Amino acid sequence: MSPDILDEAMEIWFGPQHVSAHGWATKLTLVGDYVVECDPNAGYFHRSAEKVLEYKNFRQGSLVLERMCMLEAFLAEYPYVAAVETIAEIEVPERAKVMRTIMMELSRLHSIQFWWGQFNAELGFFTMALWPWVDREYSLDVFEELTGSRHTVSYSTPGGVKYDFTDKFMKQLHRAVDRFEDRLAKFRDMQMGSPTFRARTEGIGLYDAKQGLKWGLSGPPIKACGVPMDLRKDDPDPNLAYDMVDFEVPITENPEHPGSSDALDRMEQRFKEAEVAVDIVKQLLPQIPDGPIVNPKARGKANRLPEGEAYARVEGTRGVTSLWLKTLDKAQTAYRAKIRGPCIASYYALKDLVPGSKFADFIVIFGSLDPYPGWWDR
Amino acid sequence: MSTIGRAVINKIPEVTSNPLGDNKIELIVPADKIREVVTIIDTELEDALPESAFGIDLENDQYEIIYIFWSWSTQTLVQLRVSLEGEKPEIESVCDIFPGLEWHEREFREMFGIDVKNHPDPRLLLLPDELDGAYPMRKRFQTDRSRLDETGISPPKPRPKPEGGDKQ
Repeated sequence: MSPDILDEAMEIWFGPQHVSAHGWATKLTLVGDYVVECDPNAGYFHRSAEKVLEYKNFRQGSLVLERMCMLEAFLAEYPYVAAVETIAEIEVPERAKVMRTIMMELSRLHSIQFWWGQFNAELGFFTMALWPWVDREYSLDVFEELTGSRHTVSYSTPGGVKYDFTDKFMKQLHRAVDRFEDRLAKFRDMQMGSPTFRARTEGIGLYDAKQGLKWGLSGPPIKACGVPMDLRKDDPDPNLAYDMVDFEVPITENPEHPGSSDALDRMEQRFKEAEVAVDIVKQLLPQIPDGPIVNPKARGKANRLPEGEAYARVEGTRGVTSLWLKTLDKAQTAYRAKIRGPCIASYYALKDLVPGSKFADFIVIFGSLDPYPGWWDR
Repeated sequence: MSTIGRAVINKIPEVTSNPLGDNKIELIVPADKIREVVTIIDTELEDALPESAFGIDLENDQYEIIYIFWSWSTQTLVQLRVSLEGEKPEIESVCDIFPGLEWHEREFREMFGIDVKNHPDPRLLLLPDELDGAYPMRKRFQTDRSRLDETGISPPKPRPKPEGGDKQ
């Protein structure tokens, strides 16, 4: 790039107030219509969650975690609970394992429903923005019936779960799952059959799997490149029930650019993720065993933890979600807790991914990676 | 021991290993060897995902940095542990090998005061400018009211004493 071109350049701050910027501020340098430099700036959402965790006891900690991403609250709080269970050597009843898994998959589905709405609204495709948000209400009603809260659910606790499935809840859940199954096919026709949407996303934000892994991307942005990397299969958590279900890791392979993904593939991938989530819930519902929902000894064991370190991971909606926990002997609070959110990588990947594309395509690339600032800023 | 553990230790005998369970291994790496070890991980594990890198304050000017890599095809998790000492500890940047670690390095620099040598972009990441050099994740960083002056927030007024309690 010759310096003369940069004389004509214009700098634009995309965010943090702009709603499509998700609370981040990205400085874009434009020459004409094209982005030549992208400088991501995070931190506008920083709530020092890791420091807060050093002052919260082990039953309060998961409440901090679910506030990192309220769209997938069941998934977000889980790594903390799993790390505490590992260090304290708490056993989890079978019933609680299955219940957790069901709620985590529904949480994944809810997060994808929200993303469809948000991404399509950014693209100006309002029908597909509002339809998934109608379904999202059904998910939220299910969460509310179970926990009394629509977003900050605080469901998993060391040793099990907090609330049992009631008959009324089961009826509501069955109704919601049947509805989702119906509607997913309709959504797919509407979304993937739209020539405007295809023209807007085809070939936009193309990267290959190897490059994506170097940036630290995981989850749907990598699976859309045809790489079946999924912690539900590769490294399943022992206190979840993924071994009881039969499912294939959903991947998207586009013959036009094998091993790479564009924004269209990533949309296709989200449909597959949603279908697999519904499938897992449907398989698990008849398999819920009887028994207690929480280990009665867990409350005492989680009050004071022995010295130890644990690293717990779960396949979140956006990719690898994990927590690294260190405790000292007879600890009531964490010595160090490190939250690893998946959006860590997807936001900063823009630095290399965006330059060279048109300014109008920035939001397509950004939105297709499903960034959520709570995960990165913490 | 996993293949990657053997590969690293064969080339760099100063590294020691510590098994963490099935296919999970911890390598204890001297600070000056970190670039060599990360390069071996990059060449040996083709699909290595740089999951995380973060600091730990062990107090009395002792710090640790942990790097976590995950390879899904071999299902290997590698955790590197580097011990550092001193008021201003230093480590070399590895973000040219794994660009995904650039932000983590910026984070432990601002949060723990661990200097990253040869980092291409050593700005603050999450913190506001006022907290530059305060290193809030260090254990000695006070979070009680003793730092109220710096924040510019007026101290809370003392509560008025309940009135009329003892009239009867």
